Amino acid sequence: MTPFIRNMFVVARRDFLAIVATPTFLLFLLAPLFMVGMGLAGGMGASQLADKARGAGRIVVIADPADIEALRDADHRLRDALTGPDAPPLLAFRVAGPARIDPAAITREKGSDTYAVMSGPLENPHIVERNADGKSGRYLTLLAGQVLRDRAAGPVAPVKPHFESLQNGGASIAAQQSIGFGAIFIIFLLTLLLAGQTVSSLAEEKGNKVIEILAAAVPLESVFLGKLLGMLGVAVLFIAFWLAVAFGGGLVAATQIDPAALDAAGKAGKAATALASMPATGWPFFLGIGLLYFIMAFLLLGAVFLGVGAQAGSVREIQMLSLPITIFQVGMFSLSAAAASAPGSGLAHFAQIFPFSSPLAMAARAATDDAKAVHLLALGWQAIWVALVVWVSVRLFRAGVLSGGSGWKFWSRKKSSALSSPRT
Amino acid sequence: MSDYSVEANGLTKYFGDYKAVDAVSLAVPSGSIYGVLGPNGAGKTTSLRMTLGIIDPDEGTSRLLGGLRPQSVRARIGYLPEERGLYPGMKAREAIAFMGALRGLDWREGRRRAATFMSELGLERVIDEKIRKMSKGMAQMIQLIGSIVHAPDLIVLDEPFSGLDPVNQERLEMLVRRERDRGATILFSTHVMAHAERLCDRIAIIARSQRRFEGTVDEARALLPMQVRYIPRDRGDPAAVAANLPSGAELRGDAWHFTIEDGDVEPLLARITASGHGVTGLSISRPALHDAFVHIVRQVDAGFVADEARDAVEEASA
Repeated sequence: MTPFIRNMFVVARRDFLAIVATPTFLLFLLAPLFMVGMGLAGGMGASQLADKARGAGRIVVIADPADIEALRDADHRLRDALTGPDAPPLLAFRVAGPARIDPAAITREKGSDTYAVMSGPLENPHIVERNADGKSGRYLTLLAGQVLRDRAAGPVAPVKPHFESLQNGGASIAAQQSIGFGAIFIIFLLTLLLAGQTVSSLAEEKGNKVIEILAAAVPLESVFLGKLLGMLGVAVLFIAFWLAVAFGGGLVAATQIDPAALDAAGKAGKAATALASMPATGWPFFLGIGLLYFIMAFLLLGAVFLGVGAQAGSVREIQMLSLPITIFQVGMFSLSAAAASAPGSGLAHFAQIFPFSSPLAMAARAATDDAKAVHLLALGWQAIWVALVVWVSVRLFRAGVLSGGSGWKFWSRKKSSALSSPRT
Repeated sequence: MSDYSVEANGLTKYFGDYKAVDAVSLAVPSGSIYGVLGPNGAGKTTSLRMTLGIIDPDEGTSRLLGGLRPQSVRARIGYLPEERGLYPGMKAREAIAFMGALRGLDWREGRRRAATFMSELGLERVIDEKIRKMSKGMAQMIQLIGSIVHAPDLIVLDEPFSGLDPVNQERLEMLVRRERDRGATILFSTHVMAHAERLCDRIAIIARSQRRFEGTVDEARALLPMQVRYIPRDRGDPAAVAANLPSGAELRGDAWHFTIEDGDVEPLLARITASGHGVTGLSISRPALHDAFVHIVRQVDAGFVADEARDAVEEASA
């Protein structure tokens, strides 16, 4: 082991242990629980609200009893084909009597939202809508037309379709793009949560003046890379912990499922087939390369943040840097996501080559393109950029901070800490 | 092995327009204890940082232990910076082992040596104490041990005595001598003359960014004449006594105070004996390093003030 690498590991070991061997690390480790808990609570609340809103809405028809039966029958048939967001609101009826019922009065009734009210003869209905050109009014028109067509054509034998599902038909492009986007999102989320911490990584050394000891003892490149490695170790530990929790949770859940159901699923082999065929490069390669791209994304963005954070003279400056850093990360995510939606395009190639979006975009590419050798090239390219960013960061740190501002100035080096004051 | 462990030539450093160090050269003989002395703000720390390659000089070069660049011999150097720095959450033994590991020492060996050093210095009770729980002086001793735990060939200590109580100062002096006896070269800066006087084989005095003196402690003291305190037995007529003493002799109480050059001791004794005023008390002593230091710094300051005044006059006339 060369002195450079040995020094790097000495710094990495110190940083890793300094973070992991503290009670606050437990809080850090369990932080996703709070995030998941809040997400679940928020999601459930939103879902309940949505359900409630869906159940509360209605459309109303004022008609004769004979028309009501025909309309109800037509509604049953049409509603089967209109599901999801296209599903019309509940259909309610009012029997038309001798006294005129005011449609506008129905829309004002409390207890539910009435989107449209249809009255009058089906050939020439009068429709009162809450929103002009709304879907509800058009659906009521469709219903009236269906009833009139049924009456004109007479009774028709119901259609009895035979459905055949396509098995082992290969992964769809859309599914692969979705997996690619998922990879981008996971890598982005993990780097957003974990790599941003490197920005304050040198603050401790600058604050307690250890930086001078480090600068005298080892090359600053070793210090910077060691810090990145230490933080990467923490990130990998974090991920490993949650993967282990997920795996353990899966095992526990599996013991709760009926063995017969599991056996049936295994014989059917649907899940295994789906898993093996989804990403273009196959699941094992895809997961492995995904991990490597996460590491490269962490090192690349971490190196940038470390370099920028090293120039900061105070905690306040570091805090101020958090926003542009987050925006930069979101920018890389957006670029990669846009590239993932257009594989093979110029934008995709740009995102794959641009060093800071390259890990994300290449991970997405592994989902849609079965070429594997290109990933080796990409990893090498990204590693070169990690080295380049660290090299530049060290030069700036040495010239701007260690040398007291005689070199490059970040904004006003005279106010910065470390060795910047002309100690004599 | 080179005759000199440190060879710094013409080191110059600017902080903005301010010339913090102006062409300072240091040549530290191997195996010696070398002191860099100077008032606050003279340029000592910046000179040491440039010598060690921590910051780059704007001009000049530095060679350590015969290496071409300071960075190439890092593992053979121990350094205690002026601004003490330790990780507060680390235990003392780990902090020492960590500093040793940075210089290539095995962690386990570093821990073992840390325990040995600490027990020798009476610090064994805090061996597994976290740094944040220690007093400033104790933490400073830990850092000092950390800077020598890997048995370096060159030890650079920047103001090592500041912040230490007299007992720890004594321990530090003992450590410095022991390291020198082991064969290491010690270069340290201070503005406390007593330590330099007791420890240093050679010194450099830096004032107003430039090196103003280089030599042994005795050579520095020889810059000033010897100081004489004479109490005559016959105190009847001061004018008669003064007539046999060098010009400038001053009577304070019963004693006459004056200075003489190296070769004037015997003639002075002869004159006093011949005068018949007798001797109740007579002391002839070399000035302390402190006096030589103050003399040099005052001369530099006076010259600086004169230069400033001349510049101001020239500027006004222009």
